Amino acid sequence: MELLFALGLIAIKIALLIAMLLLLPLPLTWLERKIAGHMQQRMGPMRVGWHGLLQPVADGIKLLTKEDHIPAEADRFLFKLAPILALAPPFVVFVAIPFGESISVLNAEITLYVSNLNVALLFVFAVIGLEVYGVIFGGWAANSKYAVLGSLRTCAQMISYEIPMGFAVVGVVMLAQSMSLVDIVRAQSDLWNIVYQPIGFFVFFVAGLAEAQRIPFDLAEAEGDLGAGFHTEYSGIRFALFMVSEYVVVLLVSVLSVILFFGGWNGALIPLPPLLWFALKVAFFIYVFMWFRFTLPRYRYDQLMAIGWKVLLPLSMANIIITGIAFT
Amino acid sequence: MSRIVDRAGTWIGWALFADLASAFTLTFGYMFSKPVTMQYPDKEKWLPYSRYRGHHFLKRDEEGEIKCVACELCARICPCDCIEVVPYEDENGKRHPAKFEIDTARCLFCGLCEDACPADAIALGQQYEFSSFSSRDLVIGRDDLLGKPGKAMTGGGVVTARLNTEQDVLVEASEPQGYNWWRNIRRT
Ligand code: SF4
Ligand code: SF4
Repeated sequence: MELLFALGLIAIKIALLIAMLLLLPLPLTWLERKIAGHMQQRMGPMRVGWHGLLQPVADGIKLLTKEDHIPAEADRFLFKLAPILALAPPFVVFVAIPFGESISVLNAEITLYVSNLNVALLFVFAVIGLEVYGVIFGGWAANSKYAVLGSLRTCAQMISYEIPMGFAVVGVVMLAQSMSLVDIVRAQSDLWNIVYQPIGFFVFFVAGLAEAQRIPFDLAEAEGDLGAGFHTEYSGIRFALFMVSEYVVVLLVSVLSVILFFGGWNGALIPLPPLLWFALKVAFFIYVFMWFRFTLPRYRYDQLMAIGWKVLLPLSMANIIITGIAFT
Repeated sequence: MSRIVDRAGTWIGWALFADLASAFTLTFGYMFSKPVTMQYPDKEKWLPYSRYRGHHFLKRDEEGEIKCVACELCARICPCDCIEVVPYEDENGKRHPAKFEIDTARCLFCGLCEDACPADAIALGQQYEFSSFSSRDLVIGRDDLLGKPGKAMTGGGVVTARLNTEQDVLVEASEPQGYNWWRNIRRT
């Protein structure tokens, strides 16, 4: 009975999580287009629903009913596999992400995470690294020049930015003496990590931008020079899967920034429910992502590599050393 | 000396991402500035200037007779060859067009027909909403051309409008001048 209850709870949590992650890209696309519009003194979508609120639904229906085109020369199996491979890892990662401590429903304490892994951080980085396979396969299988170039760029970019990203969070782990994300947040209940780890946060966030392939590091899908990069040949629902995965990664990087550096669900100044604090912080980071996107131009490829290896990597190393000397 | 300070200043600015910061403040400022979008056709509609070259119209003289003398000069000068005039002679011995057709699907709205006309009979008016699902509907005959709206009198500006899917776009309230739609555009 006990076991059955626990299993049922996990199933419900996972279902909720998947529903949330699948539905969240809808408001996010709307938000992104609105922000883009207003930053360019336009209005963004206005005509479907109130202020274009139903625009993502219309776009979704359009994408679902579009022809699912597979190029004649494509490797059909890999071509079909790639969107799923790109989508699955960001979803899997959320298993280890805590959204808060716990809430009590009907006298039962329910934790706001699927599992509290003791190596959660390692798990997150290991799994999110797998996302690059979807991109590589997508670019390769399409058998198109643009797609291959895009996926080559993505590989190089993902691999070189994962290293500083991994090093950047070592400081956080040293401070919390734990790799469990819940413990990391608990360790920040007095003072957020951003105070101790500004360099770590800087490196993490820049590498996160690159990881999510957002401007200024969106070389993989640089519209100007590569068509659409690795998903040039994709259409319809498969293209939608790539888009969903992109937004989930944006969400993931925002959530990780909040958990690792901005105190997770710990509030400050105003007493609000922890879950609300968490959501507010994440929303702020998502806004920052979009703000960056419509402010900055794109880096050149060699600049991208130079930033990754010559700036971020030494910075993250220095951060580890400073943290080691100062706080342990 | 000043150059050294200048350089040092640039360097300090660079290290503190001064350029990025100014970029972000700029976009943030824009984010909360008023959009310049003209919400056509939901809320607003643009009024053409009097020099605007829209849909053609044929004029009548004081007696209500069609001004066109069917000289076919407009058909001759038209670079797209989209005017077709067939003349006839009425009981007073005056030439008038029996058939006057403009294929607006081919027309490029150059206005040469207006310039060429010796009788000041044809001109390009203010109407710009005549899209159609069929290119056959875009061939406009003589009687339709006589009924088309003439040159704009007010000129420029934006007025409130409302989309009426049954008919064309309806202009609901039309202040004579409308508003200046450059008013929200930031020029720095
Ligand atoms: S506006 Fe130009 S293209 Fe159009 S009918 Fe007149 S002469 Fe021909
Ligand atoms: S519209 Fe003018 S130019 Fe054309 S046939 Fe008539 S009179 Fe001649």
